[in-house]
Amino acid sequence: MSQDPLHLVCIEPSFPGRLGAVADWLVRKRGYHCRFCCTRTEPQEFWPESTGKGLEVILYNLGGVAREPSAAWTRTLERGLCYAYGCWEMLEARRLRPIDLVLGRSAGQGSTLFFPVFQSGIPVVNLFDYYLRPHANDLTDETGLEMPAEYFHWRRAANAMDLLDLENGVIPWTHTAWQRDLFPNEYRQDFMVHFDGVDAERFGRVGNETGDRVIQGRTIPAATRIVTFVARNLEQLRGFDRFMDLANRLARHRSDVVCVVVGDFQVQRGLDVKFYGQDYREHVFSRNPPHNPERFWFLGSASPAAVAEVLKASDLHVYPSRSYVVSRSLVEAMAGGCVILAADTVPVREFITPGQTGILVPFNDIDSWESQAREVLDHPHTYQELGLAAATKVRERFAQDVTMPDLAKAFDIIGNGAKG
Amino acid sequence: MVQKAEARVLRRLNKIIMHVLFIHDAFPAQFGRLALELTKRYGWKCSFLVEDLSRCPTPTPEMLQQLEIQKLPLSEDLRKNREIPWAQVYGRYLESCRAVYEAVRARQHWRPDLVVAHGGRGAPTLFLPEVLDCPILNYCEYYFAPSRRDISYRVDLPLVDPSQFYPRCINAMTLVSLVDCHAGYSPTRWQRETFPKRFWPKIEVHFDGIDTELYRPHPVTRVVAGKTIPTDTRVVTFVARGLESMRGFDQFMKLADRIGRELHDVIFVVVGGEEIYYGWDKLHTGQPSFKKWVLSQGEYDLERFIFLDYVEPSVLSDILCLSDLHIYLTVPFVLSWSLFNALACGRVVLASEVDPVLEVIEPDKNGLVAPMFDTDVLSEKALQVLKKPEEFRPLGEAARALMETHYSIDACLSPLKDYFERCIQSDLRG
Repeated sequence: MSQDPLHLVCIEPSFPGRLGAVADWLVRKRGYHCRFCCTRTEPQEFWPESTGKGLEVILYNLGGVAREPSAAWTRTLERGLCYAYGCWEMLEARRLRPIDLVLGRSAGQGSTLFFPVFQSGIPVVNLFDYYLRPHANDLTDETGLEMPAEYFHWRRAANAMDLLDLENGVIPWTHTAWQRDLFPNEYRQDFMVHFDGVDAERFGRVGNETGDRVIQGRTIPAATRIVTFVARNLEQLRGFDRFMDLANRLARHRSDVVCVVVGDFQVQRGLDVKFYGQDYREHVFSRNPPHNPERFWFLGSASPAAVAEVLKASDLHVYPSRSYVVSRSLVEAMAGGCVILAADTVPVREFITPGQTGILVPFNDIDSWESQAREVLDHPHTYQELGLAAATKVRERFAQDVTMPDLAKAFDIIGNGAKG
Repeated sequence: MVQKAEARVLRRLNKIIMHVLFIHDAFPAQFGRLALELTKRYGWKCSFLVEDLSRCPTPTPEMLQQLEIQKLPLSEDLRKNREIPWAQVYGRYLESCRAVYEAVRARQHWRPDLVVAHGGRGAPTLFLPEVLDCPILNYCEYYFAPSRRDISYRVDLPLVDPSQFYPRCINAMTLVSLVDCHAGYSPTRWQRETFPKRFWPKIEVHFDGIDTELYRPHPVTRVVAGKTIPTDTRVVTFVARGLESMRGFDQFMKLADRIGRELHDVIFVVVGGEEIYYGWDKLHTGQPSFKKWVLSQGEYDLERFIFLDYVEPSVLSDILCLSDLHIYLTVPFVLSWSLFNALACGRVVLASEVDPVLEVIEPDKNGLVAPMFDTDVLSEKALQVLKKPEEFRPLGEAARALMETHYSIDACLSPLKDYFERCIQSDLRG
């Protein structure tokens, strides 16, 4: 079936966010014209290639409680409605047309909710990330114990925007079966489950790179073992605390280990109510300072190119995330052929088959983390196969060039279906 | 966890007296009579958490004596702040949920076997699973539509800003509570079908049950509000909690005017307050009272109208029994109790031809219907009835029979009790 170029409108609070890469691929590979409507943009180094060349970024303003830096949790939906309203105002003012398809990601902020007020009859595909369960997943096992009752009230109340979106005539889309299964049973069968893919070319290793490696201009000898941790933010949710436990044990055990850490220091995810807005790295250091600070390289927030450089150099990539939506960085590490040591959670198992494409250990068993990590670092060649298999799996299933044509096909059917 | 579940099963299985906690904004509303009958006939214990005692209808002394009624300790701010911007309605709902949660938590001795909560704008039970270990049953009253029903139906009135946006988020409370509850029930099939189809398997249809003893055909003295109505004068009634556009008050006035021009021996008795409960009448008209706005729009002979505010149920029953024709011009929305009350009193009802009405009224069998905005057809039918009321009496008799067999508390109580028990049992099995 031919895949025709479509007029696409993306609506997501931040650009490029998660939809940026999808839009970019569609513009570059399928000739789409995309208007990306958002309230803010990330630094330019994160912008995809087609920005300004078929992918047009349009900012919209926010009013009401959404302008305030923070608001009581009882006003979360109100905040989301302000986003949706702000988007509608912009659409109405600019009269964006023609539009064949809308791709939205509310991230709890519901930006597509009022799109049908602007123009009805246009198909809307909404990407849904995460449905909160009051007592399961993410940080509930740990922080839940010390949280006041309000914490659970918030968790029970926080899905309202997703439910409104789901009932707003959208085609729901999510990346993994685990994410779909978080949603109430009544909605699951409606979901299109489709991973959006990673840029395997960017993250793939060229060959069997065994020589010296360079990270941000610093050369690391071939004999040094590089342990990596990558997250958007160094936070509890992604297991930065667990990583430091492990890294310190490894640093004590081996003098040739360098730990390279990518991620912003400030916690920006509202889900982490305890450390939101704080420097979680400092908190972890206050309890568990780096054994030898010189052997810990904290790169802060890094561009995709810099992340690729780190992953290509990695001897062991550690992914100790709590049970939560799998980070792109995990799949990028797989694409990079990294030997991955990850927490054994249901979402991770959708990507990594233990013993074949990575090593999984129980989250709380720090001794297992250490013994497995030491084993990999002691015998890197023995474990190289896992990394190669992971890279192959990404090339076959999770690379953009595999996932996106199918997704484009689905968009084509949806977009043309509405026309016809 | 397993021990806790076992203990719960044992406790419930050994129990003879079921304890139901009813939660509603108002008392008695839909649950008061039901709870009283469960208490009297089956010995169940029924407790209530309510925001206010209602004045439409008011609680009976027996209800107040037999049922445990606790008023929610709402903050003054929450009580006063009824008219909040549409974007903040969900926040207000969460405050109600919190108040319910705190009230239950403060009553450790309450260990209900079942919670039944009214979900008109979302049952405020969202946080209860944190303190209660029993099934929660939602009264699934209504799911709003973005167009062609309820608050979006009256496109003949001026477009107002919230009308484009609020219908797309008004169901937030209903959705979160519906997803979280164990099961639900709607009083009519139409109401159930307003909900997204995916939820239908979770919602059974059980009507509340009306008091067909109170509302029954009975002889009454022809005096209303101190005014004697001659025997040869026809009485047309219109009843609504609020005289507002969604209940077609303006259409009724047009119809009444037309009838009044044709017949001189007719009087119109209108029961209802000036509060606006649904929709945007204040925005449509720029006035606080839709009633006053409507009256200012026409040259009505107000000498022929008796306007009553809220009346006691017994007074309403008497008024309905005086009626030669009861007019009910609702938009597609939850049916008013007044419709059922009028039918139970054996009155001839002329109603708007909308789906919820057609579930109850079979045209020309137990009532009459006509398009809501077609004053010509409405007045033609109304005049036929008023000119020859005896010819239409069989409609009223059929209506009464239907109320007795399908909608009376006697008809509805047993299936509802059975449903409550099934919910408790399925929770124990689950």
